[in-house]
Amino acid sequence: MRQDIFLAGSGLTRFGEWWEKSLRDLMSEAATAALRSSGMSPLEIDLVVVANMLAETANDQAGLGALASSLFPHRPPALRVEAACGSGSLALHTACAFLESGRAKTVLVLGAEKMTDAPANAVAEALMGAADGELDAPSGITFPGIFGLIGQRYMHEYDLTREQLSVVSAVHHRNAMDNPFAHFRQELSPEAVSASPLVSDPLRLFDCSPVSDGAAACILSTARRSPLRIAASQVASDTLSITERPTIVSFPATREAMSRALLEAGIERSDIRAVETHDCFSIAAVINVEDLGFAREGEGIRLYEEAYAGHPSLFVNMSGGLKACGHPVAATGLKQLIDAGKHLERASIRYGLAHNFGGAGAACGIHILENIEA
Amino acid sequence: MNNCAPIIRRSLKREREKFLPGVVLSFTKLMHPPERFGRRPRIVGLIELENGRRVLGALLSDAFIGQSVRPRMRLSHVTAEGLRVYETAYEAAGKAVAPQAFPGYILALTGPSGVGKSTISRMLARAFSEYAASVPILTTREQKPGDEGEYVYTAREEFERLQRTGAIVAATRIPSSSEDRRYGYRAADIEAIWSAGKLPVVVTELHLLEDLARHYGRRAILSFGLLPPGRTKRAKLSQLLHRLRARGRDSEEHIRDRLKNAERDLAFFRERKDLFDHIVVNEDLSSMLDYMRKKVSGLSGA
Repeated sequence: MRQDIFLAGSGLTRFGEWWEKSLRDLMSEAATAALRSSGMSPLEIDLVVVANMLAETANDQAGLGALASSLFPHRPPALRVEAACGSGSLALHTACAFLESGRAKTVLVLGAEKMTDAPANAVAEALMGAADGELDAPSGITFPGIFGLIGQRYMHEYDLTREQLSVVSAVHHRNAMDNPFAHFRQELSPEAVSASPLVSDPLRLFDCSPVSDGAAACILSTARRSPLRIAASQVASDTLSITERPTIVSFPATREAMSRALLEAGIERSDIRAVETHDCFSIAAVINVEDLGFAREGEGIRLYEEAYAGHPSLFVNMSGGLKACGHPVAATGLKQLIDAGKHLERASIRYGLAHNFGGAGAACGIHILENIEA
Repeated sequence: MNNCAPIIRRSLKREREKFLPGVVLSFTKLMHPPERFGRRPRIVGLIELENGRRVLGALLSDAFIGQSVRPRMRLSHVTAEGLRVYETAYEAAGKAVAPQAFPGYILALTGPSGVGKSTISRMLARAFSEYAASVPILTTREQKPGDEGEYVYTAREEFERLQRTGAIVAATRIPSSSEDRRYGYRAADIEAIWSAGKLPVVVTELHLLEDLARHYGRRAILSFGLLPPGRTKRAKLSQLLHRLRARGRDSEEHIRDRLKNAERDLAFFRERKDLFDHIVVNEDLSSMLDYMRKKVSGLSGA
């Protein structure tokens, strides 16, 4: 990083089904909470970066930059970033670029998604925008279907069993029980995951993160110091369609972003003790910990089995992940950074990581957070 | 959006490029495919074609990784605007698929409750008694006064057993506010009519029609869709209500159920135009019957 950038404040709405709240309400709630936590005046915000994917289809709303700007008395410049489920981390990356260049000193990054304004099938179709409209969608595939293909192939190559996979969601649900912002805060047994209705073979309902409403806001600043410093901000891209990739059991964008992030932070992988990773589907979590380099290929499930047995070697998704916290698409990447930071402070750990992607690993953003007081 | 004509036109070119044999790299069964593909689960495979390209495509049967498949161009769906969308799907290349023997025709009359299906089928059966016979409907519902021998009654357990053994070729559930009813057709009934040298006539609804088309092949069915007169949905439904009340067979509660189902049926007619050869509006019984007689005569050579 060319500048020391600090996470000066952060705010979340609880993720869930907020029938009474609009997209604007959610944005306002998260932004207000972030400002309050930073102790800064709204007038200190030089720029707003909004992350959102579905506002046009789900909320009949474009122009989200101006919408966010209008929450502030001085109408700061504002822009929107979209990279499907990876929008949040790409918005953070955009903010870092503005801060590093000196064009802004304090940026509010705001991720928001209001999904329950549209019927479930319309949301499912809109989410297919994160795959290739010409190469993927005409086959009738859905997003759970794409990860079903990935899961089927992974199980074939590495002999992962259905029972093993069910541990992933069980761990996430258990982790979320203490998280007041999580969509689901009840325990879920691996047996219940295995017995849940089939969605896209081999994935079942409880392998899938839910459709949620929610917003998350981070204030990144070079002017206001805080105990949490952004040690690295990297993004990497891959083909939008899985048909154009040599393998579907690994996401090269994650590997690339990770190696560059470690280089940027100047640390070893083993320095990182807490990870928030993008478990849009359980199989993604297994692949992600491998791509991030915390497990060998085909052995990602071991980290989850250790966590389920009560002796984790790495803190993965201590917030509950996307599965239990909910997945309001573009808010997720910001929420991961916030939760990684909370865990660093709570456990006095120095380095944590937020790993977020859009599509099936088509756009990946990785942020390494340093707790300078640990 | 994906229903726009230019998009569909371009997609046909891509579907043609996919028309090559290949090997299944992975597959998944989607329990809830996007609406335009219908309500049934859909198996989609990631396939490596013989030219090295990878594609996604529907698989026509249960698959396994490493399976060799060959392409088949088929109608994927018909858009609400009536545009026919074709796709390259893939079927197992391992087992030699014998060209399906053409079993004979089935005459299907489909339409919402009260449109006059039973009346028309009775009249057709009379006019063609030498050539046609009604296929009895197997049902789990109670016998009602007014039933005219079109039903064979059975217990739910027996119905489900027949379904499992494949003796029932088409089945549907029609939930009502009072009970959960099953309806279906037995293969044996249809085949007995064929072996007697006659044309089986089914008075049916859309799910059963879909199943029959799947089992015997769409081309085996001469399919008439019957609609009530009226330009708008409201006018059509009001016609149906009028007729249901006039025939005095159902309680007011059942009529409400039937109307609810009819509303769904009308929407389905728009979505599944591909399931019908002729859509006829029952404005005037005798001219409609004449029209249908002509179509059926052409078929049976009568």
